[in-house]
Amino acid sequence: MDFLRPATLQQALEAKAERPAAVPIAGGTDVMVEINFDTRRPDALLDLNQVAELAEIGSDGGLLRVGACVSYARIIGELGRELPGLALASRTVGSPQIRNRGTVGGNLGAASPAGDAHPVLLACDALVEAASVRGTRLIPAAGFYQGPKRSVLAPDELITAFRIGPAMGPQQFAKIGTRNAMVIAVCSFALSLWPQGRPAGTGGTIGTGIGSAGPVPLRATDAEEFLAAELASAGLWESGVALPSTVTHTFGELVAGAARPIDDVRGTAAYRRHALSVLARRTLGWTWDSYRKGARQCA
Amino acid sequence: MTAMTGTVAAAGTVGASRTRMEGRAKVTGAARYAGEIPFADLAHGWLVASTIARGRVRSVESAPVLAMPGVLAVLHHQNAPRLEEFAGMLGPDPTIQILQNDRVPHVGWPVALVVAETSEQAREAADALVIRYDQEPHDIAFSAQHPGMYTPDDSPLLVTETGKGDIEAGLAASAVVVDEEYTTPEEHHNAMEPHAAMARWDSGRLEVVDSNQGPFAVAQDLAKMFSLDLASVRVRSEHVGGAFGSKGLTRPPVVLAVMAAIVTDRPVRVVLTRRQMFSVVGYRSPTAQRVRLGADTDGRLRAFDHQAASLTSTIHEFVESSAGIGRVMYDADAHHTSHRVVRLDVPTPSWMRAPGEAPGSFALESAIDELAHKCGMDPIALRARNEPAVGPVSGLPFSSRNVLGCFEEGARRFGWADRDPRPGAAREGRWLLGTGTAAATYPARVAPSTAAVTAEADGTFTVRITAVDLGTGARTALTQIAADALEVELDRIQVKIADSDFGQAMIAGGSMGTRSWALAITAAATELRAQLALPGDIPSDGITARSDTAEAIGALARQERHSFGAQFAEVAVDVTTGEVRVRRMLGIFAAGRVVNPLTARSQLIGGMTWGLSMALHEEAIRDQASGAHVNADLAGYHFASNADVPVIEVDWVDDPDTHDPTGIKGLGEIGIVGAAAAIANAVWHATGVRHRDLPIRPDRVLLAGSRGC
Ligand SMILES: Cc1cc2nc3c(=O)[nH]c(=O)nc-3n(C[C@H](O)[C@H](O)[C@H](O)COP(=O)(O)OP(=O)(O)OC[C@H]3O[C@@H](n4cnc5c(N)ncnc54)[C@H](O)[C@@H]3O)c2cc1C
Repeated sequence: MDFLRPATLQQALEAKAERPAAVPIAGGTDVMVEINFDTRRPDALLDLNQVAELAEIGSDGGLLRVGACVSYARIIGELGRELPGLALASRTVGSPQIRNRGTVGGNLGAASPAGDAHPVLLACDALVEAASVRGTRLIPAAGFYQGPKRSVLAPDELITAFRIGPAMGPQQFAKIGTRNAMVIAVCSFALSLWPQGRPAGTGGTIGTGIGSAGPVPLRATDAEEFLAAELASAGLWESGVALPSTVTHTFGELVAGAARPIDDVRGTAAYRRHALSVLARRTLGWTWDSYRKGARQCA
Repeated sequence: MTAMTGTVAAAGTVGASRTRMEGRAKVTGAARYAGEIPFADLAHGWLVASTIARGRVRSVESAPVLAMPGVLAVLHHQNAPRLEEFAGMLGPDPTIQILQNDRVPHVGWPVALVVAETSEQAREAADALVIRYDQEPHDIAFSAQHPGMYTPDDSPLLVTETGKGDIEAGLAASAVVVDEEYTTPEEHHNAMEPHAAMARWDSGRLEVVDSNQGPFAVAQDLAKMFSLDLASVRVRSEHVGGAFGSKGLTRPPVVLAVMAAIVTDRPVRVVLTRRQMFSVVGYRSPTAQRVRLGADTDGRLRAFDHQAASLTSTIHEFVESSAGIGRVMYDADAHHTSHRVVRLDVPTPSWMRAPGEAPGSFALESAIDELAHKCGMDPIALRARNEPAVGPVSGLPFSSRNVLGCFEEGARRFGWADRDPRPGAAREGRWLLGTGTAAATYPARVAPSTAAVTAEADGTFTVRITAVDLGTGARTALTQIAADALEVELDRIQVKIADSDFGQAMIAGGSMGTRSWALAITAAATELRAQLALPGDIPSDGITARSDTAEAIGALARQERHSFGAQFAEVAVDVTTGEVRVRRMLGIFAAGRVVNPLTARSQLIGGMTWGLSMALHEEAIRDQASGAHVNADLAGYHFASNADVPVIEVDWVDDPDTHDPTGIKGLGEIGIVGAAAAIANAVWHATGVRHRDLPIRPDRVLLAGSRGC
């Protein structure tokens, strides 16, 4: 097995173009497990850890640009204010050791429907930045995932960063597992509120993401539209009153309805649907409460 | 003589907290374990495990594999060294008669060993090795109703059945009856350090480094299996990274390493993978237990019946002694306990921390809680009402029994008096809150051991005993015991352990190590002090006194000797998602004399943590079609993570056992006993729903809903 260690992004892209079968390794928390269990025997590993560009955090227009190799620990420590939803999700990943090594780039590269970053990336309309010697393109998160552990990434492409709007309202992430840490999600849900709309003007006032309850991470579009319409038509953003329980309830049902779960060792499809409706109601309660508190403070 | 006994230790060190003597070596990586000690010319063996659950090996296609890089040998049933069938500590053990015939009794059974220059080459070749089987239909479906259930004969480890009085009449005459079935799943110990062994021939002697709980017993077994003089076998186990019963007996890796060393005439090391550990080192059988309790309205038991069913393999009988606990805890005029077992196409179960008492206490202490509720009594009061004066089955007196002291102190610290007994009465946001309690007990046994204590010419002392430190702090405790017995400071004592050349000693198991070894060390130290009191200088090779406690132990009065305890837990349950969070646990124990409070507390906290894990997480799942595990790794076999474990408080009450010279009872296992029941009882108290099947998973909680609110 060859171990390629490019020092710059350019070298990395050239190496990937030359050897498209080379397996990129960032934190290695997925790759090393696969090699250890012998489920994968790559001819070459492409180590991204020397490439400084990939570990940078910056901004581009109104969006944050977070390098693919930025660890979960750094997201928690450095981006907790701008990206509260992603920071919450990052806190639920593995253990401290895994959070020190593991990256969102790797989560995207693995494209597991259970990856904890995905629901938040969906709920925030993040853009995945993919580069090759041919150039750079931006892929909306919702269009990135193709199937269990499959994405639209081309063989010669690397994920270089993701771009994401800094929070302009409350965000939440909730995950169900059979223990409190070191656990693959049975299902998970992310919710973001954008009272004034998105920075780039894209997307509505509500963002959602469902994890581990379908072949790919999913958005609950119907639920988003329903909630956005309810909030707008009843003037709830302005009045900041408590949400009618019918709204919360329907939101939960719509989220559960958007899932496409299966039965597996971690849980049954019925359990996943039920749990998702609870997570949706609960995260909506939390985000709405903090929106109301924030609104009151501003007033 | 001599100023050799030197400064008399002021107050004695037994009872004072001491950090582990080898702690620094362990945290800096200087301590070496069996799988990592370097040897010149070392070859590596990789176990090949069967992929079928029942049948015969038709062929082992070794030729292509022998041509692979670095491969030295492929051992299988047709070419492996023949093993003597022998009776070990507990009789014959077919689980280590490996590569002797073509029979496959379960998935994961050793069918070959590939030996190569490097571990990677051995693994690669083992993966490439094609084995053909004649497969037969298998049966792995355990239930108490299985037609193959039978009542096993009594064994040295377990009297199968006990009984007095008429159970049916007792139940019929009882105002209050509980009759329920409780189940626990297949559970695994899987210590941090995988089983590993190195064997080599050293000037005609078989030298073995092995991760086990009793090097002398392993040396004896190897000598018999390979027809060697005991004197020409040496087994060492300097550091062991956890065992919990899984390393209590000679296990396949050491047998395979010796076979390979014979065949290749090289040092050979065999290390199990974690996945392999799920199949060849024992585990806890699933259990199905029926408990029938009949009582008067004041809670006094009239009838007590505990019937436990478990499984074993087709090659060896191991019975999980779940119904044994009631023989100690509760009396009734009609009293019956029994065990049944069924032979299935699965690996042989074995000892796992608190064998019998751990699952047995879940069933029994849940049933007692149910009875208390039905009687409208506080569960502690009900237990107090049923305190036996003598052993319920044996009629023997207790050496000491302070279970009520544990409950009293526990209730005080836990705030039990403020508890609203009604289930489902306390809520905090989305959480329903509840508290529960359970009793704990574990036998305090002792076994003959030998020890040697040497007064060195430089004024220090060397203790030699084939004890093992499994990470428990045994080495430290024994140093404290020796220091007190010799009345010198700790730093003048060197305790050498885990070398079969030191002679026979009890294994580190059954919560018996400290007491058994302390007795031997104290006896040798006493003898040594008598010798040192005689005039004369200490020669350069020192003066050594030896002990053998067989006779002293034979002379101990027959009594019921046990540690006791009271477990308390508080849980929060969200019935809309099925989440259960343990908020706090408290364990108070009466465990005789505590040698080292620091390491003792760790043992008890560890046991209670495991009980939490047993209550909420642990469950090995088998695929009925293949007979193999679905979750044979630590990503799939869940145990509690740090984030699941709340504040766990542990303490003990006075429990002087004046009938034993050491006063030590042992506390390695009692921490897990009753812990799962305390949590299950708390979940009932929170929700009004009784969970009789472990683990209490979110889906089970969700489906059960909530009757309490
Ligand atoms: C003990 C343990 C616990 C875990 N717990 C969780 C958890 O709770 N939640 C969760 O979501 N995940 C969990 N994981 C999985 C893993 O940690 C995450 O998926 C993590 O985000 C992977 O990041 P990494 O940098 O380590 O990826 P790597 O292992 O380095 O790579 C993962 C995949 O992405 C590809 N890749 C990496 N970087 C790039 C790139 N820049 N461009 C293109 N492809 C790339 C790799 O080739 C590989 O296919 C756990 C793993 C372990 C071992």
